[in-house]
Amino acid sequence: MARASLLISPELCIGCRACQIACKSWNQLPGDKTVNRGSFENPADLTPDLYNKIRFVEVPSENNPVRWLFVSQRCMHCDDAGCMKICPAPGALYKTKEGAVAFNKDKCIGCKLCSSACPFNVPRYDKNDKVSKCNLCADRIANNMAPACAKTCPTGAISFGDRDALISKAQKAGYAAVYGQADLGGLGAIYAFHDAPKLYGLADKPVIPEMVVFWHKYLKPLSWIGIGGTAALMLLHYVAIGPKKDQEDKDDE
Amino acid sequence: MTNHWVDLRNADVVLVMGANPASNHPISMKWIMEARNRGGKLVVVDPRFTQTAAKADLYTPLRSGTDIAFLGGMIKYIIDNNMYFRDYVVNYTNAAFLVNPDFKTPSQLDGVFSGYDEKTRKYDKKTWAYQMDANGVAQKDLTLKDPNCVFQLLRKQYARYTLDKVSSITGTPKDKLEDVYKVVGSTGKPNRVATVCYAMGWTQHTVGVQNIRAFSMIQLLLGNMGMAGGGINALRGESNVQGSTDYGLLFHILPGYNPTPTATVVDLKTYIEKFTPKTKETRSVNWWGNRPKYITSYLKAIYGDKATKENDFGYDWLPKVDEGTNYSWLNLFDQMFKGKFEGFFAWGQNPACSGANANKVRNAMAQLKWMVNVNLYDNETGSFWKGPGMDTKAIQTEVFMLPCASSIEKEGSISNSSRLAQWRYKAIEPVGQSMPDAEIMNELYFKVKKLYQKEGGKFPAPILNLTWNYGEKEAQGKVKHLDTHMVAMEINGYYLEDIYDKTQTPPKLIGKKGELCTNFVSLQADGTTSCGNWIYSGSYTQKDGKVINMMARRVKDDPTGLGLYAGWAWAWPLNRRIIYNRASVDPNGNPWDPKRAVIKWNPTKENPATNKPGLWEGDVPDGPAAPLSDEKGGKLPFIMRADGVGAIFGPGLADGPFPEHYEPLECPLQENPMSKKHRINPTVKLFFGKEGGLAEDVFYSCDTRYPFVCTTYRVTEHWQTGVMTRHVPWLMEAQPQMFVEMSNELAKERGIKNGEKVTVSSARGSLWAVAVVTDRFKPFKVMNTTIHQVGIPWHFGWQFPVDGSGGESANLLTPTIGDPNTMIPESKAFMVNIEKAKG
Amino acid sequence: MNRSDLITKESTFGIINHWALAISCIVLTISGFGFLFQIQGIGSAFSGFPAMKVVHNWTGVVFTASLFLSMFNWLKESLTFDSDDIGWILTAGGYLSHKAKVPPMHKLNTGQKFFYLTLLVSGFAIAATGFIIWLMPENKSMLVLSHFIHNVSFIVITAFIPVHIYLSTLGNPGTLRIMITGKIPYWWAKKKHPKWVRELEEGHGN
Repeated sequence: MARASLLISPELCIGCRACQIACKSWNQLPGDKTVNRGSFENPADLTPDLYNKIRFVEVPSENNPVRWLFVSQRCMHCDDAGCMKICPAPGALYKTKEGAVAFNKDKCIGCKLCSSACPFNVPRYDKNDKVSKCNLCADRIANNMAPACAKTCPTGAISFGDRDALISKAQKAGYAAVYGQADLGGLGAIYAFHDAPKLYGLADKPVIPEMVVFWHKYLKPLSWIGIGGTAALMLLHYVAIGPKKDQEDKDDE
Repeated sequence: MTNHWVDLRNADVVLVMGANPASNHPISMKWIMEARNRGGKLVVVDPRFTQTAAKADLYTPLRSGTDIAFLGGMIKYIIDNNMYFRDYVVNYTNAAFLVNPDFKTPSQLDGVFSGYDEKTRKYDKKTWAYQMDANGVAQKDLTLKDPNCVFQLLRKQYARYTLDKVSSITGTPKDKLEDVYKVVGSTGKPNRVATVCYAMGWTQHTVGVQNIRAFSMIQLLLGNMGMAGGGINALRGESNVQGSTDYGLLFHILPGYNPTPTATVVDLKTYIEKFTPKTKETRSVNWWGNRPKYITSYLKAIYGDKATKENDFGYDWLPKVDEGTNYSWLNLFDQMFKGKFEGFFAWGQNPACSGANANKVRNAMAQLKWMVNVNLYDNETGSFWKGPGMDTKAIQTEVFMLPCASSIEKEGSISNSSRLAQWRYKAIEPVGQSMPDAEIMNELYFKVKKLYQKEGGKFPAPILNLTWNYGEKEAQGKVKHLDTHMVAMEINGYYLEDIYDKTQTPPKLIGKKGELCTNFVSLQADGTTSCGNWIYSGSYTQKDGKVINMMARRVKDDPTGLGLYAGWAWAWPLNRRIIYNRASVDPNGNPWDPKRAVIKWNPTKENPATNKPGLWEGDVPDGPAAPLSDEKGGKLPFIMRADGVGAIFGPGLADGPFPEHYEPLECPLQENPMSKKHRINPTVKLFFGKEGGLAEDVFYSCDTRYPFVCTTYRVTEHWQTGVMTRHVPWLMEAQPQMFVEMSNELAKERGIKNGEKVTVSSARGSLWAVAVVTDRFKPFKVMNTTIHQVGIPWHFGWQFPVDGSGGESANLLTPTIGDPNTMIPESKAFMVNIEKAKG
Repeated sequence: MNRSDLITKESTFGIINHWALAISCIVLTISGFGFLFQIQGIGSAFSGFPAMKVVHNWTGVVFTASLFLSMFNWLKESLTFDSDDIGWILTAGGYLSHKAKVPPMHKLNTGQKFFYLTLLVSGFAIAATGFIIWLMPENKSMLVLSHFIHNVSFIVITAFIPVHIYLSTLGNPGTLRIMITGKIPYWWAKKKHPKWVRELEEGHGN
């Protein structure tokens, strides 16, 4: 299957949060005890039990008292996924054939490194220290169903399908640049809006921390070169120069 | 809804006023956004910048309770600027009708229409009548120039509603006001259509009905009634509330909107005479002229063989109400408070939180001997006796809890706002000992019946003669399990004899004895048909001997492209998707706008029913009659009205034939800017006032102790008083606590920080709430003073969450006052104070 | 003293300390490679990655403790340098030519001292960052930095491992016994660590 993705169109989002609840329902995530913090937005941030959250953002407006923006915050399913780069446990984070970055709690070792490498501050850890985040409803898409959020969205603010088709759909609808089209190898959750990304709480240019990239590119290979190289040198020494022999010492004496 | 949900997408302008569909009817936004996608404009008028406003092309605020001022200004603007659809107005409305010259408007009588009696607070409507010609038909001036014609009276009535005046009342900036008027007024052309979405923001006022009438009049002026993408669309707040009114859950109506008989209506003949409208207008269909068929078939449905011509079809067994007595909510609980009730079934409701002035409601329940609480969960009502401020030991009320099944644990139909009855299936078995409501009623019925059989009692006949053929019976006659299909079939109705159309020679067989009725057209007034609810006749029918549940249909075809989806479930009446659709065509039967042709008259195509040429194509038409211009059989479009036309002048209501602006019971103004003498609707029933009343019903208007306008509303996550939703942790996580939204300006004035707890209080109660300080509320400039408005949701209650972290019901604050026509409480505009919470 | 008499070069404490370090280091290295390259075989050998993480963390504790204790054994000596150390470096300790004249060494030769100091520095770096990764993952930028330093140290330490093993076994036959018995023949000591032996003989050796 070609790469599938979510197209999120905040301009169609009405802030009903059906997706936020449907996600919890499908993934059987418990509801946390919260308080009202002076906003409709709740909980304050993604949690191990909250894979998808609608942000309510109020920004100044020319014609109205305010502009009220609603946007889904969640795992972006990067093609070049920082979390997967840094993850030490095989299979803990993995790509489905549709391109979703999914997880397997049994394989997660709870090191939390993924959370440090994520450009979007997404992975969370449950009470057993296992990674927890949106997995694009990998179980649903494997059975030809749209993720719970997309399925439940009444206005089409979250749609799911073939990534290329969604991009051209967004372009046809007048969105020249689709957020995440090329970033990080192309995101699996792309956004269509006319504003600056930061208005929606998104980085203009999302990047994996440089140190993680450098480590991945250079340090990892260097680890092999280091140990292998010195071992080879020692072998060379043994063959070409030879060891210091006890006997020689005796002769000297 | 006159139209239906999908039809919202056909609108050029969607006015959302008194509603917040993005929060409370999210699915409707699918179609509203689709309308925008097709070039339509979304206009939102609301005191608060709502989630819907966030999607609007044009938003403007107005102070709660000033909708009539806003809409009156719109009427003036449309008339002054010639934006109305003249052909439509002349032909299809009563604009040309001449009214009694003695009729006076509030502009002439300082705030009241002619005929007002201050003592009874009622109108004598004598002067509200039309001038009749010799044939008993209303006289008309088709030029609309006669000073006594409805159109000129309308112009006169709203002459005072100038932009400046309206703006000073509503607090809406003048330029925004004009923007909205322009956009809505732009649909007065045949090829442009506006629709309106309203909800409790229009209804829950002392002028609730007139709010809706005001826009109905605008829709008639603009020619938008009956059009695809037009109409008057109430967004019903509960999945089946349309069904509840259709089936006569309100005190004043029997199923199918037949009036509840009063004690003075002594027999069926009198009933029929009193409630069957008559007209001399030959071009009027006057569908309610069929009332005798519907009431008789209804009696046959409920009393079966016991209902005979000799015993007036059991008319005597129908409960009668006292003439002039109102049995709606506020009065019921007022009486309960005064100890006039012994018992109370709280069935699927939570009055302790949902009733206006909830403290009074809670104390009223303490006067009861017993209460039966039928609900999914125990709630503030069932546990009222241990609620805050209750003297538990002193309360003698015995409370019984009957757990009932949720919607997914039973089978049956629900009717949504589109008048669409959809059959739904049982997904899971009821939890624990809970039962479907119908099963509980089945149990109750047989127990009560047994008691009547044994003990006789005062008036056993209505119970003993009731039909109850809803499934297989035990030896003792009790229905084992109530079969909702059999209920649905009883509602649809049966032919009790072979029925013939005697107008044809030889008489043509319409229906065979024992079969389900085709639809209400074949119902009879002589007791040969039965029908539990005439408007649903045709929903569960029989064709070629085969029984078809029309409500269970799931065909997704849409041949018109208008989104009618005629094969999906079934809409009353007769599966008509847009009612008054005969108004969507010109008098020749051609659509005003061919691009959205709801129906179209095809004069050459043969009508299979009559074998004559001439047939309507498209949606099910409002009657098969030929279009108006047909000299022999042409009919007017508004078939439910005796005179056949849309009522711009509406003498049927208690508070005037035209809407007039009155202030809410509690308002920030000393007097009504429109008329000094009458601040509030002069016809409302006052529970408290100069003549006394209960201290519980106290109100303070224009009082410095309660300086802020308050309104109630809902959030997406919770439903009504939250009994269902507060038990869902996912929803509580998203919307956990009572809050009050207020402007930054007000918060600053009161030293309140965002997120901190504040006390909201009114004359009747107080509660804590978390302050949500936001730019979405802005102070209003009203009559040159600054007025602050706040808003609170009404989903919370003390009983759950058990730790009290949710907060209390907003209805602790709301006043005991209702609309004079419906008695719906005024929860959308009252006065409060806000202070930082102590401690 | 006879040339074949045994003298004590390493205390029992030192020997245990050495092997604790060595074994923990090897376990950490192997599991470290397992994590770094997600090597299934290594994970399986530890009966799965989650278990390997536990082993890695707690072995890290052993390593850190051993490293700490090692300072009592080798730190002072490793920090003592004189001009002969420069000579040792110039002659590359005699490892590049058997003919080279290597200056006399103390108890630890220059290479050993540098090896120890490198191990000490990178060992503490890897240990400290390891503990941060383990115990303080909430601070994201700290986590990234720690992970980076952990890996830099890893490269240094792992690169030194073959050198250390080679020079203590095949490269210098007879060296291994120091870390087994703690004792070496007098002649061997005199040959390799003449300054230390002289001090011993003068009575102020340790």
